[in-house]
Parts: sequence; C-alpha cells; structure tokens
Amino acid sequence: MKFILKLTIIIIVFYTPYVWGKTVEQSKQNTENCNRQVDVKVNGLVCDFCARALEKVFGKQEEVSGIAVDLDNGKVVVTLKEGQKIDNVTLTALITDSGYNVVDIQQGCYS
Amino acid sequence: MKFFINIIGMMVILPAAVWARPVSYPGGITLMQMNDFDTSSIHMHYSPTANYSLGYKGEYWRNDDWHFQGVQINYLIKRWNKPASQANVYLKSGTGWAFDKDNKNNLAAFTGVSLDWEDRRFFTSYSNRFLEAGQITQFFTQNARVGIAPYMGDYGDLHTWLMLQIDHQPEKENALTTTFLARFFKGEYLVELGVTQDGDALMNFIIRY
Repeated sequence: MKFILKLTIIIIVFYTPYVWGKTVEQSKQNTENCNRQVDVKVNGLVCDFCARALEKVFGKQEEVSGIAVDLDNGKVVVTLKEGQKIDNVTLTALITDSGYNVVDIQQGCYS
Repeated sequence: MKFFINIIGMMVILPAAVWARPVSYPGGITLMQMNDFDTSSIHMHYSPTANYSLGYKGEYWRNDDWHFQGVQINYLIKRWNKPASQANVYLKSGTGWAFDKDNKNNLAAFTGVSLDWEDRRFFTSYSNRFLEAGQITQFFTQNARVGIAPYMGDYGDLHTWLMLQIDHQPEKENALTTTFLARFFKGEYLVELGVTQDGDALMNFIIRY
C-alpha cells in the first residue's frame, strides 16, 4: 500500500508538469492558428467557376498563405502567413475585386 | 495582309455567344472558344479591373461563309450579390472587319446586352446582339438559357449543369433553334457539350488564367 502511494506521488510529481506543459503549448498553437485565420461572409458566392477569382486575387497577396471557399455557407476562410495581418479595408477591396460583397468579417479567435 | 487574315481565320475554325462572365478579376485573362450550329468563335480578353474587359474577338459564320476579326469590350453594368444568388447585366460591344467568301470586306461593329441570374440550383440568362457589317451582313440575334444543377458540388468538385438554350435569329428561315446541352466545370476549366433539335453539335470551352 505504501509502495503504491509512493509510486502515485512520483507519477504526479513528474508527469503533471509534462502534461501541463503540453496543454499550454497546444493552447498556444491553437491560438496562433486561429489568429492567422479570417472568416469572411460574402454575398453572391454561388458559382465555383466564378469563385476561382478569389483564389487568383488572394493568391497575389503576400500575407495570405491560402483560402478555402465554402459555397454552402457563402463563406471565404483566409489563412494568413505566420506573423502576418490583413485589415478589413484591404479584405473588403479584395473580395469586391473578386466580384462579391462582404457581409461580415471575423478576424482571428472570436469564438 | 490576306495571309494574316487567313491565319486568324484558321484559329477561329472551332464560336459567338459568351455564356460565362465576360469580365474577370483584375489582371485576369480568359479564353473562350465556342462552336454552335451556325458559328465558331474565339474571344480572349483581359480584365484591367473587375468592371470591364477587352480583347480579341474572331468568329466564322459557317452557313453564310463570312468571318469577323476585331476587338471586343465587355462592361459590367450592374451586379446584384444576394445571400444565395447573383445576377449580372453586361454590355458587350466590338468593332473590326468582316470578310466574306468573295473577298469583300467591310468595317463591322456590334453591340448587345447580356443578363444572367443564378443560384446554386438554377440558372437563367438572356443575351442579344446587333451587328452591322455594311454590304456583307446586318442582323439581330438573341438567345436565352435555363439550367438546373442535378447535384450541388462543393468548391473544387466537378460541377454539372443541364441546360436548354433557345436561339432566335429573325432574319433566318428557321428563326428558332433549340439546343440541349450539358455544362461541366472544374477549377479553371469549363466545357459545354450539346446538340440542337436538328442534330447540330455545340461545343464550348473556357479557361480562366
């Protein structure tokens, strides 16, 4: 019984900081990832062929690493390169150049 | 000059109506190659802004045996972006030279409007055009389309539309032509294959750079 108690204490002492560290690291990573993501709700996003313009227009932006188009929800998810930011005015201009209207922009960790 | 014209004419062997958006994103280049029961044409345009495009237009009218070489400008008059649909009105005009089988040539010009509306399930469009080429030809033509998507694919999937197109050429003996066609597109490529009630083929190809 005493042995089991000692073993438990040892495990707690040595393992907890490891788990805690991992959790913090994971949390930091998640925050960083979602800080690099911008969700843009747009009107008029109904045609895949036409939406290719979004890829072309955003593809020319140095701060953008990629985009994902969600036709079902009329949403464009813009992923930024590490340490990069893009302001709402620029985003709106890029979406307009692509042929659509911006309804809402959600920058980073909003949920 | 004649050699040059023939070379361009050969390039046009394979269209006239423009069914995809005639204006692209700023800096975008689009190539449209179209063939229907009456014409083969090619239109390559560049869009300096999201509101207009300009480029080369060549077309060959098989039945009357004449062709047109010139420039075309497309202007987005109005766009309505709604949560689940989009509608557009375009003005499409061009000018150049028309050449017929007897080597007659004439300054030519055309203009017309195009309207379209679509959501993810249904599509409808209307387009008209008036062309004046002096002693060679002069005509008014109009056409309309309705379409339905049998399934709604995600972004990047192969998308399919089934469409019915009606062409009206008042000056022709058979003024109305009905074409059943299927539109497929994936990525930057769009292909349309169809057949008229008389068995003539339709084949359109569009690529957006």
